[in-house]
Amino acid sequence: MDNTILISTPPHVKTPRTTKKIMLDVIIALIPCIIAAVLFFSWDAFFVIITSVLGAVEAEFIYYFIFKGGFKKKCQNAKKVCLDWLDEFDFSSIVTGLILALILPSHTPWYATLIGVVFSIIIVKMVFGGTGKNIVNPAATGRVFMLISFSVITSGWAATTIGTIGESSLATGATNLSGMLSNGVESISMIDLFLGTGVTGCIGETCKVAIILGYIYLCARKVIKWWQPLLFIATAWLFTLFLNGCDAEIATEYTLSGGLIFGAVFMATDYCTSPKNMYGQLVYYFCLGLLTAVLRQATHVEVVSFVIMLCNILTPLIDRYIMRKPFGYIKPVKDKTKKKTGKEV
Amino acid sequence: MKAVKGKPFFAGIHVHDMKELACASPAEEFPEPAKVCISLSQSLGRPAEPCVAVGDKVKEGQAVGKAAGPISSDVFASVAGTVTDISPKTFDDGKAETYVTIESDGSHEKAYMEPLTDPSPDEIRARMKDAGVVGMGGAGFPTAVKIAPKTPVDTLIINGAECEPYLTCDDRLMKEHPGEIFEGAKFLAKALGVTNIVIGIEANKPECIEKFEQIDGVSVVRLKKRYPMGGEKQLIYVTTKRKVGVGKLPADSGVVVQNVATCFAAYEAITMGKPLYERILTVTGKAVKNPRNLRVRVGTPIKDIIEYCGGEAEYLQKLVIGGPMTGLAVAGTDVYTRKTTGGILLMTEREACAEKPTPCLSCGKCADVCPMHLMPMNTAFYSEAGDYEAAAKLGGTLACIECGACEYICPARRPLIQDIRKTKAEMRNIQARKEGAK
Repeated sequence: MDNTILISTPPHVKTPRTTKKIMLDVIIALIPCIIAAVLFFSWDAFFVIITSVLGAVEAEFIYYFIFKGGFKKKCQNAKKVCLDWLDEFDFSSIVTGLILALILPSHTPWYATLIGVVFSIIIVKMVFGGTGKNIVNPAATGRVFMLISFSVITSGWAATTIGTIGESSLATGATNLSGMLSNGVESISMIDLFLGTGVTGCIGETCKVAIILGYIYLCARKVIKWWQPLLFIATAWLFTLFLNGCDAEIATEYTLSGGLIFGAVFMATDYCTSPKNMYGQLVYYFCLGLLTAVLRQATHVEVVSFVIMLCNILTPLIDRYIMRKPFGYIKPVKDKTKKKTGKEV
Repeated sequence: MKAVKGKPFFAGIHVHDMKELACASPAEEFPEPAKVCISLSQSLGRPAEPCVAVGDKVKEGQAVGKAAGPISSDVFASVAGTVTDISPKTFDDGKAETYVTIESDGSHEKAYMEPLTDPSPDEIRARMKDAGVVGMGGAGFPTAVKIAPKTPVDTLIINGAECEPYLTCDDRLMKEHPGEIFEGAKFLAKALGVTNIVIGIEANKPECIEKFEQIDGVSVVRLKKRYPMGGEKQLIYVTTKRKVGVGKLPADSGVVVQNVATCFAAYEAITMGKPLYERILTVTGKAVKNPRNLRVRVGTPIKDIIEYCGGEAEYLQKLVIGGPMTGLAVAGTDVYTRKTTGGILLMTEREACAEKPTPCLSCGKCADVCPMHLMPMNTAFYSEAGDYEAAAKLGGTLACIECGACEYICPARRPLIQDIRKTKAEMRNIQARKEGAK
């Protein structure tokens, strides 16, 4: 009997919420977006999503197989290695694959999707050490990579056409956001923007209702804090308002267009690329909103992925300089001697 | 007096407290064991020095060890009988300590001190020392030292939070002996020279709150059910809104905190002259048939207690002495109770939750729940890399109270408390080396 007793440091009870379950929650939160995508963009979108997810999982597996602990050794007992990997697999590559697919246009060719997702997983995530070690958001970086590499393919957009599942929608054009930004043409009503009907855009970004459902789920499961995406969106809205001479309508339209809300809920809130303490997070989400508003206005292209990447790079800096004070930290004069001893320590 | 709500406190965790297992069973007397093994290190500070010899006849409550320093405490025989052995031993808890073994003769002869009526503050302090009363929440800080603070104090807080999941011994004590606890607290307050007595009780013990509301002279604070509400600094903050500085004592903020069990022990020591040689503890967990609260003598073999409660060995995965959040996991049942043992926890495989750690996600949940507002992930990161100075500086480790909230919440199952303890130990080494160099 004594042999089976475990010894460890306390605590001896632990939360049931493991990494796997958190990742599963994110996947569940993305389901409304996937459904909306298939409804609006027909099976094209579904094909992109499947390609992306399978590509992501495959890429992670192949990387694991080849680079972690000797290729030859692993070939000898491949079965055990596969089982080990399954044991370690934490769904995070599925999340990356899903998010990347949802910020692509529906007519993205399979090879482009595949190259993008392999880049996301291998170069952005695995090379830096896998889950929790990447310095920039894999999906956002993958999207930026694709935008640069396949700029022709990924810059045309299919319009959402409800009720035409099965046929591919042919109407392509610039997103209403880039249209708005470059021409100042308003072509679409607020309700359409909100529901995503008749809007050109990326697969998962058009239907705001689906994103909000996902947001509510994530908040209810405490995967993200409720104020995080709201702070991002509100800051972006506010600065767009200032930049456009206090025109609330334009500001709202800009906020509802493009990938802002999707990025705020699913991409900016990525754990490992956002600051670790609350004050740092406040600064981070404020920076995101500010940069999105300013850069959108300045460059006339959709910048959310770029901005997320940029702020991800700022994160270690924020973590380094914005520290929490311990509970009962003594500020005044007494503290000087304390600090000195702290340094000596 | 009507209970007031505690001040808001936003850190900490919600744990399923599992108190329903044992909270209904009244504290019953555990039969006298045939042999007790009493450790001489029952409090902080240096171990007590044995003051009996092998072969001596001792009575219940007779001192077997005398305090060997300012924050050490006396140790008492918990059964009447013959001392058969005094030697250093290591049992399944892995600590090498000197144990006094006493074989009971079944005579129950008692050697109590004279009861005190209306004692003076000095008499109370002397009695706390003579009766070996220590903080029974777990740390084992001698009460005699605690009630002689160097700075003026205006409030005595009784800690009835019992925020540790599973444990119900304080709950039972408050239900069964509220008057005695209050009397004990009044003695301690008299020694401190304060009149303001506050008791903090978590909202999941409504019956206890009611009992204390009926007592005049104590203000009751109803605390939100949140771990670690009973941590000393957190309790002071939620009851009085005072913050205790990092590295300071509660007395520096004008507060002294005493556990309910300590107050009860103080009451017994003064009105009955009974030294501290037995206490109430909870035997609980899913791997025990009849979870219950027992009044157990110090030095009782835990094996006997588990047998008495019907432990189910085949399901036992982890044996914990103390609470699940801060207790000590031991390697086997060959362990003996102490003054500070508040619980014996027999956990099944499902409860014990032994999963492999996965990579840190940097989710920051550990920082969100930290009641001391520290950054445990930094400590873990740097201590795993071997840079303990950076770990202590960036993680704020030296202010850590080791409540375990961070490790509870960690989705990646990182061994944070282990890293924190390692960092603390390494920092002590570094400090010692520096002082040696000077």
